[in-house]
This record gives sequence, structure tokens and C-alpha cells, in this order.
Amino acid sequence: MKRNRIVPLLLITPFALITALVLAAIINIIVQSLGYMPVFGLYDFTLKYYIEELSRPEVLQSLGVSLHVALFSSVLAAILGTLICAALVRTGRTRGAMLYAVRLPILVPHTVVAVFTVALLAQTGLLARLAFALGLAGDYTEFPMLLYGKGYWGVILAYLWKEAPFIAYFSLALMANVSETLGEAAENLGASPLKSFFHITLPLSLPAIARGFIIVFIFAFGGYELPMLLGATMPKAFPVYTYIEFIKPDFKLRPYAMAMNGITLILSLLMALLYAVLMNRLMKRIGGAYEG
Amino acid sequence: MRDRLSAYQMKRRAGNRAGSRTMRIVLALTVFVILLPVIVTMIWTVTGRWPWPSMLPQSYTMRTLQELFSGSSPLYEILWGSVIIATVVAILGTLIALMTARATEIYRIRGRRLVSWAAMLPLIVPGTVFAMGIQVILIRMGLGDTVTGVILVHLVAALPYCVFIMTDITAAVGNSLEEQAQLLGAGPGRAFFDVSVPQLMPGILSSASMAYIISYSQYFTTLLAGGGKVKTLALVMVPYIQSGDRALSSVYAVTFVGSALLVFFIFEALIHRIMRTES
Repeated sequence: MKRNRIVPLLLITPFALITALVLAAIINIIVQSLGYMPVFGLYDFTLKYYIEELSRPEVLQSLGVSLHVALFSSVLAAILGTLICAALVRTGRTRGAMLYAVRLPILVPHTVVAVFTVALLAQTGLLARLAFALGLAGDYTEFPMLLYGKGYWGVILAYLWKEAPFIAYFSLALMANVSETLGEAAENLGASPLKSFFHITLPLSLPAIARGFIIVFIFAFGGYELPMLLGATMPKAFPVYTYIEFIKPDFKLRPYAMAMNGITLILSLLMALLYAVLMNRLMKRIGGAYEG
Repeated sequence: MRDRLSAYQMKRRAGNRAGSRTMRIVLALTVFVILLPVIVTMIWTVTGRWPWPSMLPQSYTMRTLQELFSGSSPLYEILWGSVIIATVVAILGTLIALMTARATEIYRIRGRRLVSWAAMLPLIVPGTVFAMGIQVILIRMGLGDTVTGVILVHLVAALPYCVFIMTDITAAVGNSLEEQAQLLGAGPGRAFFDVSVPQLMPGILSSASMAYIISYSQYFTTLLAGGGKVKTLALVMVPYIQSGDRALSSVYAVTFVGSALLVFFIFEALIHRIMRTES
């Protein structure tokens, strides 16, 4: 093909414009969170909004809630997702009806997941009725309050329903490939299926699983719908709390909301950075032994 | 030696069978947990009374379906709006991703690593943070509370997946056949559309269906960019969930999933047809 300088530039332009939009949003958050809002007569760059936010107990509690939700849902989703993925690979169901069932939760939006969760896990939901029928709970008040409670367990389970299949599907191509080639080779050389899985297939599938884990973690940490619909009134999940601060009509309070967004942004970037560093080290250890 | 080998193999097969059985149970449980809430929600759509602690509804009703079609804002209008927005996002997202993939994979532009990091950016920055950051900018651009603004923020959410899919398939397809077509006298446009596009089609369709689903599912970004004026299905169902009307929120949930799945399966069927004619 003729090497042309203008064509590739034109090709990349729309992508660059969309990326510019994302960067503009990020810069806007950083600038406003540092207190620079000329329209409202705020000109001084300062860290005071961050410091004030981080010294408020409600903010710290709310951050704790979101970290708790993100950590539990993403760690459990990674473990269960890997198990589901391994089951799909082991039974050879890497296409067809089974895969459509596993992909279903990925297609279901969080608002609908909330409806599903209420039907199953509310104190008058199906699970509580089952517990009553089995004599495990005498009345619905005796069933653990999974929804709207401080433990946020309903939110965590709701994320799990959606994200474990996501990680399974996300890792499927790589794991199927590794298992078909190196995993089976190890078994042919006498390794048990379990040993071949834990020593060969799992470590080599880790890049995909880890990438899925990071996406899910950041999503659960920054997600709004599920904790808004299924979470406790106090403490609120961090994005829910941030939005409440954000829609306050007094624009002079805007830097506070933006500082909260800045905190989420920094934590998400740190997670992504941690992922990049760990992946780099993992790749060096595997040392290109397998080019998945 | 032969006996030992077959002993190994027999042991392995027995182990395999036990392992497969466990794995089949895992899959059965997975499918059960995935489908259970879907089925319960479908029952809720026609439930009149379902008092504690009975396991099945005591009476059934068509009230919810009536309300669905005669509510304050008619369903078909909202559905239509959601479908239009999602279709535009699917087309634009796939087109932009295809162009990006051509630039990085075929033209091998400099800064490819930068492009792949930029493509990841909307996954690293949570959607809530992005939406609160972009709102003022959209208003200043005159796009606040408009369908265009909503399409733009949906594009940001969908583009990472479109770029991943299109980059993978563009790299796999390459451009050697296209070059041959050009050597044989086809113009660059014809070589691309007649030779490469059919090969890229599975990627184009899966990118479009992914973008469609993502746009269709957006709640928070639509709320902020559309200011509540741009109504989509994801937006109008939330008040019903908050009000605690399980029957009505279930009917919206089922409509939502049903219409999304319909589109998804149309795309899947197209991909299968193309794959079959190719092989």
C-alpha cells in the first residue's frame, strides 16, 4: 500500500477528538477540585477542598463502603469467573447455548440487575420465602437484611451476578487456547488435570483474568446505579455521595464535589498503575515462554 | 512400557471423568443462578398479589402491561428514542474504531502504545467521574440536555470495546490481500470495500452489537448529559424501582432485556451467516 502521511492522520482524528473529550473532563475535574472556578470568582489553586473532604468522617466512611464493595465483588468475581471459565474449557462448552447463558448477565444493565436482586434477596424475596418454607426463618424480619443494609451485601451479590460471568467470558479465549496447547501437553506428559490447571493453564491465563479483575474493580468502585438502588441510606457509596454533593445548587460548593471525583480518579489511576506494574513483572517471570 | 502407558492413560481418563463431572455441576449451578432471577422477574410482571410467605403468586393481572402502554410517556416513544441513540452509537463507534485500527495496524502510525492507553482510558476513569466532569463542557459547547451530547458520552463508554475488537481483527486480517487486489488494478477504495470489509465483517458486527448494548444500558451518563430531558428506557425505569412497585419495575426490566436480546441475537445470526458463507 502506498505510504501516505495524510490518510492515517485523517483516520486517527475522530478517535483523537473523543479522547480529547475524556481528557477535557479529567482536566475540568482536576482544575475545579483545586478551587479554580473563575466564573464564580474562585481564582486560587488550593488543596483545601481535598484536605477538608478527607478529614470528614462521613467521607471516609463512604470511601470505606465503596472500597469494601469493590474489593469483595471483584475478588469473588475473579475466583468464580475463573472457575466458570475453567468449567467451560474443561467440558468443551466454549460455544453454543451454554455460552449464551453465561453471556446473558453481561448484556443485562445494572438497573435491571437491581430489579432481579430485589426479587431474590429482599426480606420478602424468593430466598427469604424459601428460608421460611424450610423453617430456617420464622418471619421475614428474621431473614438477614441483605438489601439497604450497612454491609452492602446485596450490592456485592448483584455485582457478582453480573461480573463473574464477565470475567469468565473475558478470559475464555486465552484460557481455551492455553489449555488446548500447553495444558494438554502437560497432561500427555503425565500431569493430573488439576496440576496442569494450577501450574500451566491458570498462570498463563492470568493476564486476561487480572485485566478483567481491574475493569470490574474500578467499575464497582465508581458504579452508581446498584448502590443507589440497593444500598444503605447511611453510609452512602462514594459515587452516590459525590453526586449528591454535585447537584447542590450552590456553585461555590462545586469544588468539594470535584475533589471527591478527584479522589475516585486518583484511586482508579493507582489501581490501573498497580495492574500495569504487576503485569510487567508477571510477563518478565513467564519470560515470553508462551506468546498467548 | 506399553502397559505402563495405558495404566497412565486409564488413570488420567478416570481423573478426567471425575473432573468433568465436577465441572458440569459447576456449569449447571452457574446457569441456574443466572436464570433464576430472570424467571422470577418474569413471573412478577403478571403478578397481582404475592403475599409473604407463599412461594407462588396468589393472583395474576394484566395491569402492568396496560400501564406499560398507556403510562405518562408512552413506551414506544421511549423505546424508539433508545433504539435510535444506540444505533447511532453502534455505527459511529464501530466506524471510529475501524478507522483507528487501520491507522495503527495497517499504516503503523507512530505512538501506537499511546493509542492503546488512550483506548483504555474510559475503562480506567469511572463513568460517574467522567459524566460529572464533562457536563459543564457539554453545556458550554451548546450540547447540554441534547441527544447529540448523550450520543457523545455513550460513544466514550463504548469506544474501548469497539477499539479492542476492531484492532484485533484488523491485525489478524492484515492487508496483503488488499495489496494484491491493488496490484491487479483495483483502486484503494474498491480494494478495501470488496476485499477487506467482508473479512472484517464478524468484527464489525460484534463491535456494533457491543456498542449498541453499552449505549442501551447507560443510566448515569444519560442522566447527566441529557439532564433528564433525553429519555431512554434505562432512565424511565429507575423511578419505578425506587417506588418499590415490583410488578411494574419487573415489566420494564423484562421489556428492557427482551429488546436488548432481540438486537443482540439479530447481530449474532448475521455473524454466523457470514462465518458460514466464508468457510
